[in-house]
Amino acid sequence: MTKSIISCGVYLPYLRIKRDEYLSALGRCSAGMREKTVLDIDEDVITMAVEASRVALAGIDVSRVGVVTVASTGFPYQEKAQAGTLVEALGLEKNVLTAQHSNSTVSGTESLLTALSLLDQTEQPYALVVVSDAPVSGPDVDLEHGFGAAACAFVLAKDEPGLVFEGVYAQSGEAMGLRYRLPGETDIRDIGVKTFAMLDYNETVKGAVTGLANKLGRNLTDYRHVVLHQADAKSATALAKKMGCTDEQIKEGVVYPYTGDTGACSSLLGLCRVLESACAGDCILISSHGSGSGSQALSFCLETPVPKSVVFEAVLGYKRYISYIQYLKQKRSI
Amino acid sequence: MENVAIIGAGQTKYGDFPGMGVKELFAEAYLEMLQSVDRGLEQQRIGAAYIGSLSAGSGFQLGQLAPLLMGHVGLPHVNAVRIENACASGGYALYNAACAVASGKFDMVLAAGVEKMRDVSSNKGRYWLGVSGDTEYERLAGSTFAGIYALMASRYMHEYGLKREHLSMVAAKNHCHAVANPKAQFRKEITIEQAMQGVPVAHPFNVWDCSPTSDGAAVVLLCNAKIAKEFTNKPVYLKGFGAASDYLAIHDRDSMTRLLATRRAATEAYKQAGVGPEDINFAEVHDCFTIAEILAYGDLGFAEEGLAQYLLEEGFTRADGKLPVNASGGLKAKGHPIGATGCGMASEVFKQLRDEAQEPSRQIKNARYALSHNVGGSGGTAAVFIYQRGDA
Amino acid sequence: MSAHISIPMYQRAVPQRYRLTGKLCKSCGKINFPPKAVCKYCLQGASFEDVRLSGRGAVYSYTVIAGGGAPPEFETEARCKGSYPVLIVELEEGPRVITQMVNPPEEGIAIGMSVQAVFRKIYEEEGVIRYGFKFSPA
Ligand SMILES: [Zn+2]
Repeated sequence: MTKSIISCGVYLPYLRIKRDEYLSALGRCSAGMREKTVLDIDEDVITMAVEASRVALAGIDVSRVGVVTVASTGFPYQEKAQAGTLVEALGLEKNVLTAQHSNSTVSGTESLLTALSLLDQTEQPYALVVVSDAPVSGPDVDLEHGFGAAACAFVLAKDEPGLVFEGVYAQSGEAMGLRYRLPGETDIRDIGVKTFAMLDYNETVKGAVTGLANKLGRNLTDYRHVVLHQADAKSATALAKKMGCTDEQIKEGVVYPYTGDTGACSSLLGLCRVLESACAGDCILISSHGSGSGSQALSFCLETPVPKSVVFEAVLGYKRYISYIQYLKQKRSI
Repeated sequence: MENVAIIGAGQTKYGDFPGMGVKELFAEAYLEMLQSVDRGLEQQRIGAAYIGSLSAGSGFQLGQLAPLLMGHVGLPHVNAVRIENACASGGYALYNAACAVASGKFDMVLAAGVEKMRDVSSNKGRYWLGVSGDTEYERLAGSTFAGIYALMASRYMHEYGLKREHLSMVAAKNHCHAVANPKAQFRKEITIEQAMQGVPVAHPFNVWDCSPTSDGAAVVLLCNAKIAKEFTNKPVYLKGFGAASDYLAIHDRDSMTRLLATRRAATEAYKQAGVGPEDINFAEVHDCFTIAEILAYGDLGFAEEGLAQYLLEEGFTRADGKLPVNASGGLKAKGHPIGATGCGMASEVFKQLRDEAQEPSRQIKNARYALSHNVGGSGGTAAVFIYQRGDA
Repeated sequence: MSAHISIPMYQRAVPQRYRLTGKLCKSCGKINFPPKAVCKYCLQGASFEDVRLSGRGAVYSYTVIAGGGAPPEFETEARCKGSYPVLIVELEEGPRVITQMVNPPEEGIAIGMSVQAVFRKIYEEEGVIRYGFKFSPA
């Protein structure tokens, strides 16, 4: 049985703040995006998840969805399953198999892998994977400057033409990385040792990517697109180049400059973007990364282009810029 | 069916009375009503009491308000009941009292209303004001009570070319009327220009388009018309009384530029009274928001729907016009103590039709028929009354 | 203090609030939203079939609730935005709904403009997030 992504959906909040706003308000900005997405006061990861899912499910018979997996580093409840909200909002059958992944930015790819597995446990042909994230910290935390918000959703199918899943390779270990969050807190803490964190990022992502290529008997150059986790403006591109990738392979999957750090969404959002221009026969590699847990690299090959109901560029273009003061209001900081 | 007469009426001034609660307000109105009965009253003849109130002092007395109030004025054993239909609570108290007399069951019945709105925080006040619509949908769409009427105003403007100025004409007119009314909460004239410049509340409304929150009470004494002359030579006959409902939620109604409840209540009242809108000499209508008075012109038959604004342009409904509307100042400036409003209108009409308007300058001359109109919420309920002077 | 809609009461309306489930009258074929026990169009039918509304519609009327006048449960939202629009939307399938508008166009709202349902947080009570529909420009 082959399993393929047959459709995807992206949701970006309408509100954006430009990096320049940070510069004029604070005199500096520790993140290198051009602009980033900002949650409205009545949005959270669940509302974004529903919107992205609705795009992905357009034209699909929702009664044939047998699996829902959902991922975010910051769900609105510490205890309460989140998939139920999606089931009701999307009108899915009540007997869907659900799974929820959190605690790390690697949870996005985890939820995709879980959905692939759970598909074996349902008679239904479709699984929905929703990754929605909006990392949060106080305005005085450097990491916060880059934090954006986004959701993406994928419909996986058994034996239907689309973006065929080829395999996965993971790296795990005690890798603290740059960030963590304690129980009961909403703000992410920054360990502040950037070079140490970079070392971990480079080693684990490289381990996953090269491991995957070896496992599948491929060279990285065989991939039309290589999309790595983007927690900042430079690391992903620098690492990909170090591993021998060309600009052509990297550039289309870069989303950080427009959205900021979208946490668990990062590489999956990049995947949605490259799917727009991918042609039949193209291979695509994505790799996630999460503090404390490592990296997962996934390989896909495009059999039939994935239909697009909403164009990524249009989603990027639907926006309104806000001031830094308004941004603090949106965050309920003032 | 028996004929119904009003032989006494009283009301407090409307406004902010930090020293008075619902009991004190009710008692003041009741005692003024007693004094207004020309030949005096043996209180024991009162057979029943209907008392309108929405929140009974912002919820402090959720149950059995009526016996509480009646016990406070020496009538502990009278059959008493609280009536609630939001802003039309007082009107429905009057309507039920009228039905009770008309049925022949009682010879004499009290209709009253009371509201204590001013001793709560503005937060809590906003809470109370937002729960008389379809809370589950209207309130949870973030709308306020003003917001619902604002939606009607927007639609009216869209359909009929109503202008912002027309809304302000209602405000300016009613504020001007209230200046001479000693019972009114706001006795200050405002210009149309001022009325257009208030602090925004809910587009297209600013603060001058909205009635205030008020404390107040009103009491009206009804009796079988057969015995009215035992008490006075100048009874006021309640010739017609109608009440009707509509979908509570504004989104369930076909039209947002008319209140069907008012139309049906008016039809019933006119029919019973045997008169038409052209016979009415003055009216007290429910102007909780400026648009509400404009809607009322159409719904009560004073103008065609969509042409109501021209009555304002012509000054037709000013105190010195052909059909004075809200010569008391209306809810807008006289004040709007929710449960009291419907009975307060009756009290105003009673005094006007007996040529006893407290300030002679505001006496409406040569009036034979008057109408009062009380609406619950955004039109979920409405009651309309037609009065005839009894000394002619 | 806010209008109390209990958790069970809210939950009973989840099909309406989360995905605009209307009730198709088996007698006259019209769609009731929100649901009624007896059809509001033919005043006869009491048996219905669930239908999912498209969420597409047009602005029938609108207002903008000024911050200071917002109900207490919308105070945070009002404070953040200064004011927020509320619409009556006429849905493609016929029923009208009252709803908040998100992302209002900078040139202003116009009666007749096309709108589309979106999924948002409505408010929180007892710490529980009440999700539901709002409408955005289509
Ligand atoms: Zn029907």
